[in-house]
Amino acid sequence: MLQARGLTKRYGGLTALDRVDFELHPGEIVGYLGPNGSGKSTTVNMVVGLLEPSAGSITLDGMTASQDPIAYKRRIGYVPEEPYLYAHLTASEYLTLVGRLREIPVKALEARITTLLQLFQLHDSRYKSMTAFSKGMRQRVLVAAALLHNPDLIVLDEPFSGLDVNAGLLFRTLLRLLADEGRMIFFSTHRFDMVEKLCSRVVVLSSGRVVLQQRVADFDRSGPDSLEETFSRVTAQVDYLPLARRIFDTIRRD
Amino acid sequence: MRDTPQRLLTRHFFTSLFDFGFLSDAGAESFKKLLLGVSAVAMALGLLLVRILALKYIGLARAGTPADYQRELTVDHAFLMAVPMWVVAFATVLVGHALFPDETDYRILTAQPVSRATIFRAKLLALLRFAALFVVGTHAALLLMLLITTFHRLAATNGIAMIVVFETVSFLASAFAALAIVALHGVLVLVAPRARLVGFSTLVRSTLVCVLVLSLPLLLRLPGTGATVARGAWWLPWTPPMWFVGFERWVLGLPGPTAAVAWYGIVATMIAAAIAAATYGVLYRNFDRVILRPESPHAPPRQARGWPTRRPVRRAILQFASITLRRSVLHQGIIVALAAVAAGFVVNAMLGTDVAPRRGRVAVARGASPWLVTWAPMVFMFIAVPAIRLALSIPLELRANWIFRMTEADRTRGDAIGAAVATTFWLGVIAPVAVLLPLQWTTLGPIAAPIAVVDALIGWLYVEILSQDWRRIPFTCSYLPGKTFLPQLVIKSVFGFFFFTGFGSLLGQFIAFVPAAALFAGAIIGATAAALLVRRRRTARHAPLVFEDQLPTDLNTLSLSGD
Repeated sequence: MLQARGLTKRYGGLTALDRVDFELHPGEIVGYLGPNGSGKSTTVNMVVGLLEPSAGSITLDGMTASQDPIAYKRRIGYVPEEPYLYAHLTASEYLTLVGRLREIPVKALEARITTLLQLFQLHDSRYKSMTAFSKGMRQRVLVAAALLHNPDLIVLDEPFSGLDVNAGLLFRTLLRLLADEGRMIFFSTHRFDMVEKLCSRVVVLSSGRVVLQQRVADFDRSGPDSLEETFSRVTAQVDYLPLARRIFDTIRRD
Repeated sequence: MRDTPQRLLTRHFFTSLFDFGFLSDAGAESFKKLLLGVSAVAMALGLLLVRILALKYIGLARAGTPADYQRELTVDHAFLMAVPMWVVAFATVLVGHALFPDETDYRILTAQPVSRATIFRAKLLALLRFAALFVVGTHAALLLMLLITTFHRLAATNGIAMIVVFETVSFLASAFAALAIVALHGVLVLVAPRARLVGFSTLVRSTLVCVLVLSLPLLLRLPGTGATVARGAWWLPWTPPMWFVGFERWVLGLPGPTAAVAWYGIVATMIAAAIAAATYGVLYRNFDRVILRPESPHAPPRQARGWPTRRPVRRAILQFASITLRRSVLHQGIIVALAAVAAGFVVNAMLGTDVAPRRGRVAVARGASPWLVTWAPMVFMFIAVPAIRLALSIPLELRANWIFRMTEADRTRGDAIGAAVATTFWLGVIAPVAVLLPLQWTTLGPIAAPIAVVDALIGWLYVEILSQDWRRIPFTCSYLPGKTFLPQLVIKSVFGFFFFTGFGSLLGQFIAFVPAAALFAGAIIGATAAALLVRRRRTARHAPLVFEDQLPTDLNTLSLSGD
């Protein structure tokens, strides 16, 4: 189980994350929602061990990242928000690099890479450097890299950005399968539809604080108690119609 | 003044030519300071050069003949033309990736309401401005030297006329240097298959950098070749600055052996200009087809076979470093340029030394060649090892380093650092020793083998000494250039160079006399290097990897509060 207790991150005088608590159980997909700047990416970076909390803790089955960072990180697969990868490598070379860094036995690694490239429809492009890849193709490489070592916890930061409809559907189905097989999936996103279709629970963040934690099944499909309306309410979102009108007025002006 | 699209685009293309994409803001700031330091050193050397030239021409005015003056004038003007040619050529090679509108320009700019002609004109104007900056800058810097050579008691022509002709011809020479490189890149863009364009471009740029750096010692020797040129040296047709000096002298009506090559420069400039214009024209007419032509199928890149290893992290990083050095223009360029500096030293020494092969101990006692062949690997190692470390220090896709940060482990950290050290050792020590072994063998005979082994051990020790504080995975840490105070660095490098190359060369020659010494020296040096390796691996378990470079003046926070 992944457990965050009193998770706080301060940058000088700025508190990016303030006493955040949440849990993620095996077989669960938790959606992590919040407006821009609410602290989602800071949380993700702390969950994957790239940032240390200023206060509070994150434990994975009772083990904190600081106790044994290697054993902790070894159990995590991570798909970053932007496709940050070494684009001068080919997909196959990148996956080999990641697999070796994760110390996957050579024979298993080669077979796994070949199969994953085929399944993610990257096999035909395996000899091209990723500089020529679209964002969606790079995203698929990152997803394959995150799953390569069969992690217990999969952390996804906007994983669907750039994926086409087919790849998105495949990935969604795969995530559900992984959850059914007992993996924990932490899913940071802006997309309500994905949370509704995929997640069992949602954690909503606003200005660095958790403002809502609820089972997705408890939301209405539409109306004032739908996920979208509740989100707008708890994160104190403004009425966007006047803002949209002002933008329109600005571009209409000579 | 109103900003037209063309003016805006020209400014955009011009500033992007100075964009150090691999440096952070702090790194770029630090790099500017380093450039200021380098400029100061260059100015000091320039003033020294002016003084030397002034003394030479004062001497000629006192005791020389008009023929002596003309002889020296020819080679000094060749030198004064060669310097801007070299600077402009080097700058053009460095921005080789931006000489033509590329796929990014196509995708971003053609979607904007600007015509293709505007894009191309802006690109050309930016390049023109860029080249002009270097041409005018170097000519201004050399003006004092030009005045010293021109206004002279023994001069046969009017000084003002000579300066006007010189400057015109020298500008033409610099234009030739830039156009030749533009033409070469243009042909490459049009002819190379799209899938191989980056590879070819990397190769061509590295080769050009190598050729230019190697030509530096020859360029610096030009002012001393007066007598050879006066006799009509065989190399005149192969030396572009001589073509243009020949043309300058032809315009001024001055006779001399360079008259034979007077038209070479004009013809070469016309050919280069025609090819550059043609490639620009073809690209202009077929922008979309050339830029977006389908990647032709090609053989897959060589995949490193994965054999079972107990050190997969080391293997992963070795392969990552090797692929990056093969594909990155910047990283390869640094190594090639600095290795060419080493080659330049050796070539320079060879030009002043008898390199005829001789064998055995007698030759050691008699000739200069044994000194040269035992000195050369030391020079290469002394320069190549820091060059490779520098290349490995410069980041690539810095934000992609999260994968290394996520997989860092106490147990494998030694392997990760060891991979960087091994890359430095193989490229900076083994490669030069192996390349120079045949030359050593030809000169010294079979004793060259143990000398090469000892050379490699010295190189290993050198790599280990430099790597004791190394905490980086290649290309993954931000980089702040100019961390060391420049004069301190220069002094350290000069002393280090003389000590390292002198010691290595003396030891090599001693082994040639007393072969048994190889065993003794090898054992001591090898044991010391091995001890340092053990120490490095032990330290690596406790000291975390570094992903953010720091200036020595930066405060190290202890993070006691966890903030």
